[in-house]
Amino acid sequence: MNILILKLLLGGIFHKKLRLILSILGIIIGVSALFVMNTFGEAAKIKTLQEIETFGPEILIVVSGQARVRAGRALQAEQTTTLKLEDAQALRKLSAIRFISPLYTGSAIIRYHGRNLSTVVQGVNEDYLKIRKFSLYSGRNLLKEEIMGFKKVVILGHKVKRELFGDEVADGKVIHVNKLPFTVVGVLSPVGVDASNQDQDDQILIPISTAMSALFNVDYLSAIYLSVASPTLVPLVEKQVDEILLRRHKISPKDRDFNLIKAEDILKFKTEASTLFSSLVQSISILCLLVGSLGVTAIMLLSVNERRKEIGLRLALGAEKKMILKQFLIESVCISFLGGLIGFLLGFLAILIFLPLLKYPLVLPLKTILVSTGLTVLFGLLSGIYPAYKASKIDPAILLKGL
Amino acid sequence: MNNILLQLQDLHKTFQIGKISYHILKGVNLTVEKGEFLAVMGPSGGGKSTLLNILGLLDKPSAGLYLFEGKEVSSLIMRDLAKIRNEKIGFIFQAFHLIPWATAEENVLLPLLYRGKIERDDVERAKVLLERLGLGKHVNFKPSELSGGQQQRVAIARALINNPTLLLADEPTGNLDSQSSKEVMDILEELNKEGLTIIMVTHDPEIAKRAGKVKILRDGVFVD
Repeated sequence: MNILILKLLLGGIFHKKLRLILSILGIIIGVSALFVMNTFGEAAKIKTLQEIETFGPEILIVVSGQARVRAGRALQAEQTTTLKLEDAQALRKLSAIRFISPLYTGSAIIRYHGRNLSTVVQGVNEDYLKIRKFSLYSGRNLLKEEIMGFKKVVILGHKVKRELFGDEVADGKVIHVNKLPFTVVGVLSPVGVDASNQDQDDQILIPISTAMSALFNVDYLSAIYLSVASPTLVPLVEKQVDEILLRRHKISPKDRDFNLIKAEDILKFKTEASTLFSSLVQSISILCLLVGSLGVTAIMLLSVNERRKEIGLRLALGAEKKMILKQFLIESVCISFLGGLIGFLLGFLAILIFLPLLKYPLVLPLKTILVSTGLTVLFGLLSGIYPAYKASKIDPAILLKGL
Repeated sequence: MNNILLQLQDLHKTFQIGKISYHILKGVNLTVEKGEFLAVMGPSGGGKSTLLNILGLLDKPSAGLYLFEGKEVSSLIMRDLAKIRNEKIGFIFQAFHLIPWATAEENVLLPLLYRGKIERDDVERAKVLLERLGLGKHVNFKPSELSGGQQQRVAIARALINNPTLLLADEPTGNLDSQSSKEVMDILEELNKEGLTIIMVTHDPEIAKRAGKVKILRDGVFVD
């Protein structure tokens, strides 16, 4: 019989459904926004961490030019031609460095059997795969002799291989890069988008010597990738690299024509950006929740006013004022909670759709669920106080005034 | 003496609205015996509703004594008054005042909500009451699906669910056509014959005639 009691106590909530929905709209929007944004923030954080892992905390990059990190990306502000292959050779002498690879990045049209596509060409040496921890799907790494000997060999990114060759075996085939024939020696395993927002599957790797001479005809590098023996040595190496390059380029620190980027920087900028964004969204959601609960207050006041006779009747039938107060508080909490529940379900639906779509890991932040539940109940209680107080002050004598 | 249900002695009620005070009841004396059927008539503004509010413990007198079952009740605290209203007094109103979103049966059970619990027996009792009042087929109807006469009968069932000792009726036929009025009055008469004390306020002399006793309230006092 408890259901009957519940219905007699709270049945009024569902009497006017359209109004109920309108009154909880704000709560629905607030909660779903809060939930979605927190989930996104959480997923983004996990994704960044995963990306950083492929990047590695022991990696240090010397980027040519006045590069800046903006919104998590290393941007090259202007073309600088001062970073040379000799710089890389000089840095190799540092004892804390395990691997080092010069890098020249360009783009080229590649062709195989009439299929063309434009992709990123990275001139690197045999250490690059070890630095980036890329594994090979098939074939082999570039050989030291090939680097030294200006050989035209190429390792394909996974996507490039798929688009040019489909299921066909690529190893040993000859493709044309800007009309020069290159022999495929290997294919990378899928990597995905890395922390610098570049699709690592949409690139080809060729010897740095070949890239600088035959393909692009330049005498400078885009970057130098370093792998330090241990992450704790990164700050030390960073300082040493800085000193060596400043000395070699004969410039003072304020004219620095290169930039040192480590994984940590990227992580920091990314999380800073996302923290700012999510705290902004969170405050907006809470504001929305607040406005939503004001909406509940307004509707509750209207409802109390409209149900004065019902309240009078309940008093006449033996309800104490305290019970009326409680009834309307519970109603208000239930309404807010209902809004919160719908908001949560909508938000849940949204993340189920959008997280996989954006290739974010699917996470369910329990903390957010608990916090938003707590907030809606709290706001429901707050928004119910005044209407419930008004309800409890109603004089049952109004019942006898005819209509 | 034991047969007296309630007594009013020199009862006064004054309302203060802004700076003006209205003296509505000016020394009402009334004795109602158990099993009586009393109709209170009188012109509008004569204090009938105010009197009914005080009798029903919905309002407190400004001065004077109100003895209910031999106990002075006008000085009781709200919680005790609510308990007496719940257990001893049944109300029926001109406008029925049924809860629109609840079924007939649920409306009848409403007073039990404030007694604390609703048992299976109670639901049965509500069904029996509705059946007795000719609404056996309408147990699950909403008020909007019932005619005025049927709604008032649901209200009567609600007033009876707690077996009250006093039934207060405020213009019970005021919103009804003559056929429904007759039906409702037949029911009240029957209930009175079974021993229920009824105090009814009405404008209609025809309806008042059905009561065993008629009193006229004019300018805040009973006149004979």
